[in-house]
Amino acid sequence: MTFSLNEVEATAKRATRGAGYAWGVAEEAAKTTRWLCAQGFDGPAILAQLLQREFASCLERHIPTVRNEKMTGEQDLCPLMTGTAISDSPTALSQGTVSISNVAAPLLLLPFVAAMAKKQKKTVEISFDGFSALTDGVHLSCGDCRIDRADHVEIAEGGHVQATRAVQSRAAPNVEAWQFLNTIAHRTYAPATEESRLLGAGSGLSDND
Amino acid sequence: MEPHAQTEIARRDPATVMRLSRLGSLHQCRLSFMRQLTRRMAEENWSFSRPAFEIDDNGIGHAVYTAQGPDRAYSLVAFAHDLPADQRSDRVIAEAWDATFALFDGVPTAEDIDRLSQNVPLQEAGRVSESELSLSRANRSVRLWAHVVDRLAAGQQPDPEQIYQVGYLMRTTAVYGSGKFGAADREKTADRTEVSGPFQIEMLSVYLTRVFVRDLVQHMARAKGGDQTADLDPQIARWLGIGNSTGLGMAPFIVNHPVLFNNWIMAREEAISRVRSVETAKVDEVHRFTDAFARSKQSIAWWRSEHPIQLEKLAALKADLKQIDTYLANNDLVQDHPWNRLIHWSESTLSEEGQELLASLILEPYGEIVDGLACCMSDTNATAQVIDGEMPISDVRALIRHSFDWALNLDWSAAKNCARAWYVSEEKLEPRLGERFEEPIADYEQPLAPARDAAMAYEALHEWSDDTPVAEFLLSRPEHRHTVRRAQINRVAPYGEIHDNTISADVKPIDMLRAKLSFFGATHFDPRSDRWVRICMYAGAPYPEELNTRNADLWVYPEIAQ
Repeated sequence: MTFSLNEVEATAKRATRGAGYAWGVAEEAAKTTRWLCAQGFDGPAILAQLLQREFASCLERHIPTVRNEKMTGEQDLCPLMTGTAISDSPTALSQGTVSISNVAAPLLLLPFVAAMAKKQKKTVEISFDGFSALTDGVHLSCGDCRIDRADHVEIAEGGHVQATRAVQSRAAPNVEAWQFLNTIAHRTYAPATEESRLLGAGSGLSDND
Repeated sequence: MEPHAQTEIARRDPATVMRLSRLGSLHQCRLSFMRQLTRRMAEENWSFSRPAFEIDDNGIGHAVYTAQGPDRAYSLVAFAHDLPADQRSDRVIAEAWDATFALFDGVPTAEDIDRLSQNVPLQEAGRVSESELSLSRANRSVRLWAHVVDRLAAGQQPDPEQIYQVGYLMRTTAVYGSGKFGAADREKTADRTEVSGPFQIEMLSVYLTRVFVRDLVQHMARAKGGDQTADLDPQIARWLGIGNSTGLGMAPFIVNHPVLFNNWIMAREEAISRVRSVETAKVDEVHRFTDAFARSKQSIAWWRSEHPIQLEKLAALKADLKQIDTYLANNDLVQDHPWNRLIHWSESTLSEEGQELLASLILEPYGEIVDGLACCMSDTNATAQVIDGEMPISDVRALIRHSFDWALNLDWSAAKNCARAWYVSEEKLEPRLGERFEEPIADYEQPLAPARDAAMAYEALHEWSDDTPVAEFLLSRPEHRHTVRRAQINRVAPYGEIHDNTISADVKPIDMLRAKLSFFGATHFDPRSDRWVRICMYAGAPYPEELNTRNADLWVYPEIAQ
């Protein structure tokens, strides 16, 4: 079964919120997961990799700080917090290569790097642990990748984007990963109560008129 | 150079326009989405056909209606059901309906119809595909349905008064588009000229639904009355619209789409500003306005509601109509910026219902400077969502103050200011509004209180220095990220924020619903509670076989009997 990218986005947002992230970060996760699907990656499976690590309860340990010109954290970095940090400040790129150490689910960085490239109107290359991807913000050139954790990530201005990935309009996520996202998304839904059913939404009048 | 399009009267201030009471008083206008669609279909000479109508005497079966535009076809696939009265509910939590629909991209094959027949009747519990553009359902108005079937079956016409007062035989209870339940994403069709405007897919679906419902009621009458059955008089059929029954889903929509909502409001405000800037009106322009006003009075006379809030608003509107009559009898509409004078007068004399009615009506004579704004009403600005983290905190503060200055000194811990919380129930994911201090819902709160969140972010920013880039703040305080995004969006979307408290003890969600529905082109808003409203769509519109460039636009205003 395939899903629309809108369904992917909505599910990713609720799941990320359900995992304990702030709404604004959940919005980023939603766009990110959708973008990965459009580029032919299994976005929901990659997001599930991250959310299974349950960083949100002690997020401060997974937020990057710059030490010796390298972004690093107390423990493995959250790619959502790291990704927003790099896309929020894209001019960091003009000061040279951005180095990051120890990142969970590093493919989630790709959409943020693309946002950085788009803002700077440049081609940007991200590489980690033998994998490398080039993007101008719209197109992406890279192979498939199953790396779920990177020791060392580098982001730098790159060359021309060639052999771009085919853009997809549907997603066919891994069934278990999709189920996992839906399960934690469920944490954002209030339990059904009779009072809520009666008062929360209705007209209070009959519809048989 | 468009001589009329130079404006000297500025657009109205968002602080005035974006108050909930005013948003809850908006009326349809030339830019409404239904009128955009009917104008286009007539101008482009769309053709319509009914390739299937396979419905039995019990009213069960399916039908297909195809609309063929210059480049593409779209087909409504309709399923008719026999619904027991005890299952008839307009709520999201319903599980069965009188009729269910999908809008198919193209012309469906027998296999497509077979696939849809297994899924569309289930609505949220089924799956549709990238070939489907929308999914919807409708319930009968039980009384009017029975009246029309019985009368026709007895060889008589239905009573027009009953039709005017109910307005529809069926009301849709949800029209899902944009990738919901497996349907195609909006991106699939966003670049097609004929459906690039907001909600054009959904408006087309409802337009074709109305034809199906007219045909179905005739079919059911004939099944009952046999040879003696009367054919429904086309003049009466015209006043059968399609109802819509809407709960809280639309309120989150306008908060969650600030750029889109801004574009709707700003297009209308720009139109109002252009017309107010007209120095002198021609006689035929004045005539077109007075004609639309006279006909809108007829429409308002048919507007029924039993809800105390709307009864009060309707009484005020009817008093406004008398005041407008007096103004028009004593003032010319030709010289000295006539429309601006009229709007100025209304601001100090009329209720918000009357003010917004006039603001919509003055656009009617000026299609040539108004209608082109329709192309600005979609949201094509994806980059607006991307945060500029290099913005200094002093600028972020200023942006927050710009929309929410009024909210910063409110006591947000006082129960009356945060009495409500928006949440999603696990019961079919129905959006709901609850009492924060009486129900266990606060942990599930959706981010639908931008004013409260703005005040919280503003306070958190207090200890940060002016020239620090906001990215640093967001890294340590990610809970304010959505608020900073909204504040920055406001630079390109000045009408994107509601200037009122959406969680106060006295918030009326129907104001938010009406704002959205007025842009669809809805009329006869009939609140059923403070969070539920029924409306009428397409009443008065020409059916496909009647549609032409002369009747494609002003159908919303009833012709007055000579």
